[in-house]
Amino acid sequence: MSAPRGKTQLGTSALALRVLGVVAVAGVVATVWLGLFVTPPDEFMGNLVRLLYVHPPMAWVAFLAFGVASLSSVLYLWPRTRAEHFDRLAGASAEVGLVFTGLTLVSGSIWGRPTWGAWWVWDPLLTTTALLFVLYLGYVALRRVPGEFHVRARRSAIAALIAFVDVPVVYFSVEWWRSLHQAPTVLNPTTHKTYVHGSMAWTLLLGFVSFTLVYIWLVAHRYRLAEMQDREDDEGLEVALAERRAEASV
Amino acid sequence: MNGYVEAGYVVVLGTLSAYSATLVVRERAARMRLGSVSRAAATKAPARGTPGGVGEDAGLEVEGPIGEDGLKAPESSP
Repeated sequence: MSAPRGKTQLGTSALALRVLGVVAVAGVVATVWLGLFVTPPDEFMGNLVRLLYVHPPMAWVAFLAFGVASLSSVLYLWPRTRAEHFDRLAGASAEVGLVFTGLTLVSGSIWGRPTWGAWWVWDPLLTTTALLFVLYLGYVALRRVPGEFHVRARRSAIAALIAFVDVPVVYFSVEWWRSLHQAPTVLNPTTHKTYVHGSMAWTLLLGFVSFTLVYIWLVAHRYRLAEMQDREDDEGLEVALAERRAEASV
Repeated sequence: MNGYVEAGYVVVLGTLSAYSATLVVRERAARMRLGSVSRAAATKAPARGTPGGVGEDAGLEVEGPIGEDGLKAPESSP
């Protein structure tokens, strides 16, 4: 039998969240300004390189989000650490990760059209990333299937761990198979070298940091929303029970 | 530039802005609903100890003296 649900807490500091939001927006604005107007065009890609100040950060945040979702799922499944907030964090992080995965696919497609001559190719990296998107879309859908809280949380946690198997496959696909997509330029897993320098490197780094802050802000808000929805369900049930008892006593 | 770069930035920033706005609006709506549900819970729940009240079987805390029959005595009994 599952453990009873405890009272929810809306503990996230509103002020801290606002400050985080302002810093994240400032970082994104700076990234866009540097990416579009300050950094030079690339020797081979020309101005298209400017898309790469947002495309790799999207992919990084997606991986981070799914990593957090998986870790939270493990902590939920582990009996000693099982708590509602790990389930909520997993759901919030996976949903935000899904948005970033979609943006990774779209921004990559926009870059690929003038570079490769096609909006989409069945490249291993693109295909496994599309699979990742579908897997987590299924996860988010599964979370919406009605059921008792802990039953739903347990099956969602297992689904999150299954879906996460695709993350390392996506990352190493450019090494494992012949791929049209270029290998990582920041931290190449084979050569352990960085192939981007100067203002381009700093702008890319700022993009990684800024969009990571955006991710944290989004997850915090999504978490609070889930917390309020759960509390609403609980209190709605109490109202219904009170109404039934009042009817019975008449 | 060449249109593709601008399109990429518009899609990324537009989607994130729209998603952020959606979350904030949904959170605000949930907070308002939560407030109304809490008020409804406080209004609908009969006085503690009455037969129609919310008691231990609903997992809620009850206060006050317990009668011999195991039921809570009404707080304002004559």
